Amino acid sequence: MDREILRRLELLNQLSLTEQEKESVIAFFSDREKDLETLDAIDTADVERMVHVMPIMTVVREDKVSQIFSREELQAAAPETDEGYWCVPKVME
Amino acid sequence: MKTYTEDKKLTVVADDMMLTKDMPTTAGSKMLDGYMSLFDSEALARLKDAGYTVAAKAAVGEFAIDLLGETNFKGAPASDGHIKNQAAEMILSGDASAAVCLDVNGAVRRAAAQSGLVSVKPTYGTVSRFGTIPAACSGETVSVLACDAEDCGRILDLIAGHDDKDGTSLPAELIAKTNEAATVRKVAVLASMKKGIGADVCEKLDAAVAVLKANGVEVDEIDDSVISASRPAWNALMSAELCNNVSRYDGVKYGYRAESFTNIDELYTNSRTEAFGELLKTAIIFGSETLSTENYMKIYDKCLRVRRVISEAFGKLFETYDAVLMPATSSMSYTEAEVKENKFIAFEENYYTAPASITGLPAIVAGGVQLVGRAFSEKALLEAAKKYEKEGK
Amino acid sequence: MRYETVIGLEVHVELATSSKIFCSCSAHSYGAEPNSHVCPACCGMPGMLPVVNKRVVDYGMKAGMMLGCHINRTTTFDKKSYYYPDLPAAYQTTQWFAPVAVNGVVEIETSKGKKNVRIKQIHMEEDAGKLVHDIREDTTHVDFNRTSVPLIEIVSQPDLSSAEEVEAYLERLKTLLRYAKVAECEMAHGTMRCDVNLSVRPEGSNKLGVRAEMKNMNSIEAIKRAIEYETARHIDAIENGTEELRQETRRWDDIKGKSYAMRTKETAGDYRYFPDPNVMPVVIDDEWFDSIKASLPEFPEVKKERYISEYGLGEYDADQLTKSIALCECFEAAYGVCKSAKDAANWMISEVMSILNQKKMTYDMLDLDGKALGELILLVSGGTVGRANAKKILAAMFDDASIEPKAYAEANGYVVSNDTGMIEAVIKAVIAADPKSVADYKSGKEKALMALFGKCMKELKGNCDPQTLRKLLIDSIS
Repeated sequence: MDREILRRLELLNQLSLTEQEKESVIAFFSDREKDLETLDAIDTADVERMVHVMPIMTVVREDKVSQIFSREELQAAAPETDEGYWCVPKVME
Repeated sequence: MKTYTEDKKLTVVADDMMLTKDMPTTAGSKMLDGYMSLFDSEALARLKDAGYTVAAKAAVGEFAIDLLGETNFKGAPASDGHIKNQAAEMILSGDASAAVCLDVNGAVRRAAAQSGLVSVKPTYGTVSRFGTIPAACSGETVSVLACDAEDCGRILDLIAGHDDKDGTSLPAELIAKTNEAATVRKVAVLASMKKGIGADVCEKLDAAVAVLKANGVEVDEIDDSVISASRPAWNALMSAELCNNVSRYDGVKYGYRAESFTNIDELYTNSRTEAFGELLKTAIIFGSETLSTENYMKIYDKCLRVRRVISEAFGKLFETYDAVLMPATSSMSYTEAEVKENKFIAFEENYYTAPASITGLPAIVAGGVQLVGRAFSEKALLEAAKKYEKEGK
Repeated sequence: MRYETVIGLEVHVELATSSKIFCSCSAHSYGAEPNSHVCPACCGMPGMLPVVNKRVVDYGMKAGMMLGCHINRTTTFDKKSYYYPDLPAAYQTTQWFAPVAVNGVVEIETSKGKKNVRIKQIHMEEDAGKLVHDIREDTTHVDFNRTSVPLIEIVSQPDLSSAEEVEAYLERLKTLLRYAKVAECEMAHGTMRCDVNLSVRPEGSNKLGVRAEMKNMNSIEAIKRAIEYETARHIDAIENGTEELRQETRRWDDIKGKSYAMRTKETAGDYRYFPDPNVMPVVIDDEWFDSIKASLPEFPEVKKERYISEYGLGEYDADQLTKSIALCECFEAAYGVCKSAKDAANWMISEVMSILNQKKMTYDMLDLDGKALGELILLVSGGTVGRANAKKILAAMFDDASIEPKAYAEANGYVVSNDTGMIEAVIKAVIAADPKSVADYKSGKEKALMALFGKCMKELKGNCDPQTLRKLLIDSIS
């Protein structure tokens, strides 16, 4: 972990860390190095990845429409709305 | 021993990862200060249907990834210089007969272990996660914290069951397996999982072993290496999922919005930077990096494979043993000072809770220690825990 | 030097399901009030969990089969993370590791002949919301109606080399997906969208040039213009060094007829894909696979051949009818009733299709009961309704789907009369009123007879068998 990678990660995650936070993140990453060694020591060459811990498959629903909440309810906690839209500063495309 | 009076039997609390439509749900984060959900979590809705009252919300650490709740944006309850878990405190003070909590990174189990309570983290997929704040979806489980195993079982019976609204919810016939009669006859204690524990925890472990043996349960101490690798693997998976799950909080739709910004990126960055705490930010950065193009195979994919290795290691143990006894914490209390000094202590201390988190196996904490069993064996584990649960006091 | 253009397309198609891909909101957001088809999941609120709409998988598979793809029997969903206001959860659930369909091929035909375009993959994913920029000057308005509407993205190999080929490819995709009834594919509605990856290299070179990805073309015409423009820009840059080509995303401005490099973030493209823990793998067993396979429509070419060999239609007629599955279905239903393929084809091509053209409707928008058309054809061929009146009935059927031709003809006085006495009375009156035409006809002017015939027919409101009228008219004059 270096400063340049950290800067990119901040950008990527829409965060701006203080100098002190940056230092502790870098320290955190260096602690994780040992963890990586632990993981590397485990032979996973012939092991399939396990995303889901329970072996169930194909959970699907029927194509049916239902509307649960109104726009007013969904926008009740919105910081800014206008004419039924959520609002953000002008986005340039 | 029950701490509540009979009139509180149908009163529970929920931790702040469980969405409630009549009380704010904050996930312990300034980002969601005052956030009102439009719906109740499925587990709480089932309790309400059964005549229960959800009396209050118990504070959690930010997105429940910390030790006991100490990273809550309003600060954590502490006494005598030791940090406390609010759900546990509410039960101890008799406010409720149980707490329904989301076990993301073991906080619920640590709370049970250190406060002399009992908790059940049921088999992944047996209790619906609909209406819980998503943090580390692949392993987090709605859990129950209560005075004893009996109360844990009582609440669990009401909240467990299939739910069409949760795509990972198991079919009813699988969940019914938890009711099949089973007894814990043989228990393994893993030498590797005793690493780092203090004398106080060691005592609890020995006491539980002694009681089990006295009750005719065979207990063997065996060597195992791979299960202890759960912690680093879980830390990576949890952080990556967390990074993704909390990316939705950006100051646009609801929740905290920074006061000052001149464009959309500043709106996002200022809102998130101002509202998120340091542990969460660190987990986001770490999780993001494990998913980067350079690291995906090396870290994330590797951890998914390690998860299977660990799962299979448990499977192998369960060919011989009905359960694995292990600590839930390294010590019976955490001082404010040590938590302040080691901000990332939760990513170390989850050494004891990560095995059940990463595999989705049921885990009962009682008597200050943890019993991890086969999938769907939570009832048998609770029965076994009844034998030594009082040892935790 | 001569150059060749290398083009690959990423085509997004909205699937025609009722509900969204992971929640139960209506998927029909086009033209709806902003944020009227949304739920907590669509606006990025915590707590709801995705449950896959089975029909999306059905349609994804069906699309894959139509485009000659291999279907992955285990298909999984993954999360793709990036920040943009139209993406409420800041991640899109898509398919990265195991898309539903891979390795397909689509045959296209252009002025240069036939050609195969390889399909790299088809994956299922959720659409993003919509941003509106022109309500207020300083603000972008966000509408999540389109969020989570199911999409398939069809990724081609870079096998296309001209605007003409791209047009043929897109038309072919449209036809096939509409035949399978999985999508509307209407660029004007945004139900089909296309990003173009384009590079230019000296003819014969096997090294790819610098690639530009072009977005924001809202019609096939715009895509063609963008390709022409971009090809010229690349050649100009290579030959004259007018600019240094960069691998970049460009936005097409169809009004100005120019493309512009889009502002890209430093972190663009870093999507951190990972498998979605909340969505279980979808396993397509034989039963499911076979049922989708069995539901596939006849391909347009097969249908056309059958119309020629089985129904005895001419090449032109068969070609016209198979342009759209809606036309085929109407034709086949009409034929089923009237039992004359020729009559049915005739009515379809000279009446039904021309009404659609007049109404500026696409052939796929045809919503006519083919059986009713068949009955109408029977009424005409059986001499019950005159052709001119039958056209009026058909026009009425376009506006009101509940119209039954026979009842409508009776109710509106469109039934041919067999009362020769009445016909003769009309003829008598017409002859008496127009002695000049009668004289003209008698002096050998055939046209004069037509004038008289027309007048009689008009008097009879078209309700007369033309042969009978003609015969009675000639008899009366002679």
